[in-house]
Amino acid sequence: MSIEENVVFSGKLSTLYQMAKEGKIKTTLQGSHTRACKFWTAMKILSGLHNTIVIAHGPSGCAYGVKKAYKLTNSRNSGSPYEAVLTTNIEMKNIVYGGEKELVGAIKEIEKKYNPDIIVIATSCATGIIGDNVDDIINSISDSVSAEMLVIHCEGFSGEYRSGFDLVFRQLVKLMNPPTPEVKERLKHSVNIVGGKMGPERTEVDTDVKELVRLVEGMGAKVHSIIAADCSLKELKEAPSVAVNCALCMDIGYALGKEMEEVFRTPMNSTILPYGIKATESWLLQAAKYLHMEEEAKAFMAEEYESVRVEYEASKKKLEGKIGLIEGHDAVKSLSIAHMLEKDFGMRPIIYNFHPWSTEARETSIDYLLEAKMDPEILITKGTLAFGKYESMKQTEEELLEFLGGIDENCVVYFGSSLSFPNIPLVDLNAILNRPRFGYRGALKVAECINKSFDYSYRPRSTLAKKMVFPEKSGLTSLSSLTQKLSQDMPDCTMYGKGGGRGRCLNS
Amino acid sequence: MLEQLNWKHNNFSKDPLLSCALEGVTNVLAGIKDVCIVIHSPQGCAATVNSSYDQHEVDFTNRKLACTRLFERDIILGATQKLEDMIKQADATYQSKIIFVVGTCAADIIGEDIEAVCRMLQPDMKARLIPIQAGGFRGNSYEGIGMGLAALIPIIKPSHMKINNSVNLISVQANCNPTWWADLEWVKETLEKLDVYIQTVFTHETEISQIEEAGVAGANILLSHEGSFAFSKNLEELHKIPLLLSDLPFPVGFINTARWLKRLGEHFHKEQEVEELIHREEKRITDILRKRALMMIPRYRNCRIALSADSTIGISIVRMLFEELEMIPELLIFKHCPESARRILEEELSSMKLSPKVVWEADGYQIKKALESVTVDMIIGSSWEKYIGEELGIKVIVDAFEPSNREVYVNESYFGYDGMLHLLQVFANDWERAFRSKHISFEKYTAKCGE
Repeated sequence: MSIEENVVFSGKLSTLYQMAKEGKIKTTLQGSHTRACKFWTAMKILSGLHNTIVIAHGPSGCAYGVKKAYKLTNSRNSGSPYEAVLTTNIEMKNIVYGGEKELVGAIKEIEKKYNPDIIVIATSCATGIIGDNVDDIINSISDSVSAEMLVIHCEGFSGEYRSGFDLVFRQLVKLMNPPTPEVKERLKHSVNIVGGKMGPERTEVDTDVKELVRLVEGMGAKVHSIIAADCSLKELKEAPSVAVNCALCMDIGYALGKEMEEVFRTPMNSTILPYGIKATESWLLQAAKYLHMEEEAKAFMAEEYESVRVEYEASKKKLEGKIGLIEGHDAVKSLSIAHMLEKDFGMRPIIYNFHPWSTEARETSIDYLLEAKMDPEILITKGTLAFGKYESMKQTEEELLEFLGGIDENCVVYFGSSLSFPNIPLVDLNAILNRPRFGYRGALKVAECINKSFDYSYRPRSTLAKKMVFPEKSGLTSLSSLTQKLSQDMPDCTMYGKGGGRGRCLNS
Repeated sequence: MLEQLNWKHNNFSKDPLLSCALEGVTNVLAGIKDVCIVIHSPQGCAATVNSSYDQHEVDFTNRKLACTRLFERDIILGATQKLEDMIKQADATYQSKIIFVVGTCAADIIGEDIEAVCRMLQPDMKARLIPIQAGGFRGNSYEGIGMGLAALIPIIKPSHMKINNSVNLISVQANCNPTWWADLEWVKETLEKLDVYIQTVFTHETEISQIEEAGVAGANILLSHEGSFAFSKNLEELHKIPLLLSDLPFPVGFINTARWLKRLGEHFHKEQEVEELIHREEKRITDILRKRALMMIPRYRNCRIALSADSTIGISIVRMLFEELEMIPELLIFKHCPESARRILEEELSSMKLSPKVVWEADGYQIKKALESVTVDMIIGSSWEKYIGEELGIKVIVDAFEPSNREVYVNESYFGYDGMLHLLQVFANDWERAFRSKHISFEKYTAKCGE
């Protein structure tokens, strides 16, 4: 079969976007392509709140899964003490009679056992369907509970996976106090970074968020809070008084920034992920505008640029005019990388296998890019849309090789997972050593990664690695393919998985 | 007499250490080769099924899973058509012999009649369809294992003919050893040495045909205390297969391994072979340990310990800790412990004249409170206890059980003779790590050099 026969879409992002809006291309995920549910994404944000107890009103499995994935991982990587995630342990009798008694009992016990600042009640499929009136229950006991209480209706069926992020961010605004002159004066040189999730940054990794904090502080401002990666109730209460909310990207942090803008008129700085110098400067300058620190920002930016200039310019020179083929599993990241390749390195980006489902899920990022006159090329092959296969599965791998054909390996670089094996240089920006990727240091790091991959492009990819990912007799597989590994911003299999403690690289 | 620990304010709010019934059910199904699992649920529950595949280390090329991805509209209007379409698609794509159609909380509560759907579709399907309602609210993950095993009963063919020197091994995965399949391997190898044929493993890398033929086995052996007793009783009643060894701890440590093997030898009339095996293996392991004796014996003697585990490993390891390593078990924490297993523990403790504090069915809060209530030098547990113990300042924490921080590339049994070595190796490494200097004071020494 020729590559033409395997291509489902080839054209500009704007065309794909329009086709999706008009229903001319299917935008639903296959049944073999599940993502986390709304409950999980909601819990990922809630896991970043200090001294907060989340009670999952449902059977034990919901609480157990997120607790293990998020809380144990935070303890292991981010220096957090072990934090509980509780369950009301809904059983068969509660399905029949309701779980009100269990919920009220649990809240009262939590106050006595943990004395938290915030108690979050997260509903599950079971309690959502049986119709426990959680809001009324909470209202009826709120006078007798000293912690702040927040109800999150995040039943797994009640929205696409990322709706949990937006829901929690919008609800967190309920915990915030309106700005006051005193607090505003105190925080006039402070920003919030909004869109953080899961918990504190990894202590031993040079993470992107740490780099953003360094940049904000470098220009003389302060970070008041990273919401909700590592924040307290006190920080949340004062958060609307900062000079500006800086969204981590147009996607995850946007809902919170927008809500705070509407409710408290807190300005928002929202750009694409700060990959590359152009996007970083845009991010910093917009923040500086609200901080009234434009001069300081410009001086700092010049200083930062100077610190990477020689190596960066040398690396950049080698990249101009080359093609960057970007895996589209993580939609926002692939769009941001496309922006960097074009605007910073003068390359020609093509996003490979950007699932049409992402056009609905990532509207704000796409709108931003198109407004910024960025309209990268998109190539989607059949494998991406096939039932039972996804992303780097064998079919898409073969389609990729076919697409590349006899292409000159010195003029194309592939941005994607090391678990793909195109016959061209490959850069895996998710690898733990390739961080930070944001900011000036990040831009240099990326440029160096690209050049390193060109320098060693004469070395064939490891047969061992290839056989690990694509065994000779691999058959039809399903959602548990490589999806998680490829699409998550999780370097080196850091999440707790079930089973034998083998990193879950291919299995999680 | 056991001192059972209980705390106020822990009736409604649990910090769970076990997942829900769905995970248990799919854990049984994921151990069967070449089956497809169609899950009628919102998409998040598919992660639970994946977790079960992880439990069996089924790699991504061998997973056949499809999810109906239920949303609000489906909850209100029902999603029977969606389920039918998904089953048809899975049947056409995956070409499995059996498709298990699993309903989770959402489908279970709204009353999706998955049995009727399977019945109606069956004539046109290549695969055999087996429906299972597995709403998470039906129990914890161990109870789910029982539900999953029960769903296999209709597959087992009745057989009047029995192969006397053959066994079924049951509930092999309900074991907190992170590489529990190594325990299964040890049992299989040991049985083979005694010329006992393994009929069916419930379930790990099990063929459907093996499940169909499970009725010919001469005996059943449980490899876990969790969630499988009812299934083995069912097999006893329906297929007249007696259950062996159910009143003993599992073979962890020299003494318990010898007890377990001797009983096995008695049943299969292999007493002599068993005696020789025990003698040979004890000598081999002792010779290895002798080289570590100078470090090992003083380290563990009268070391006060807290143990936190499931009942399968937890009950079985106590004798090794007390009688072989000369430790003092001050606190025993079980995240799950059925009545049948409690009786075994009580007998064990009574015979050793031990009366540690005990927590049954513990959650995270109880682990912390229990550890606060005792003075111990060492915890033997999992990552939960590692972090809770660190917060409490407990010096040595052995991270031996699931979920564990350890990376294990080569399978490590905890059962049997090599199993004892594997456990002692984990103990030794975590012990050494606890007493090693964490940082070299480069600044201090560099400054001195420069002076």
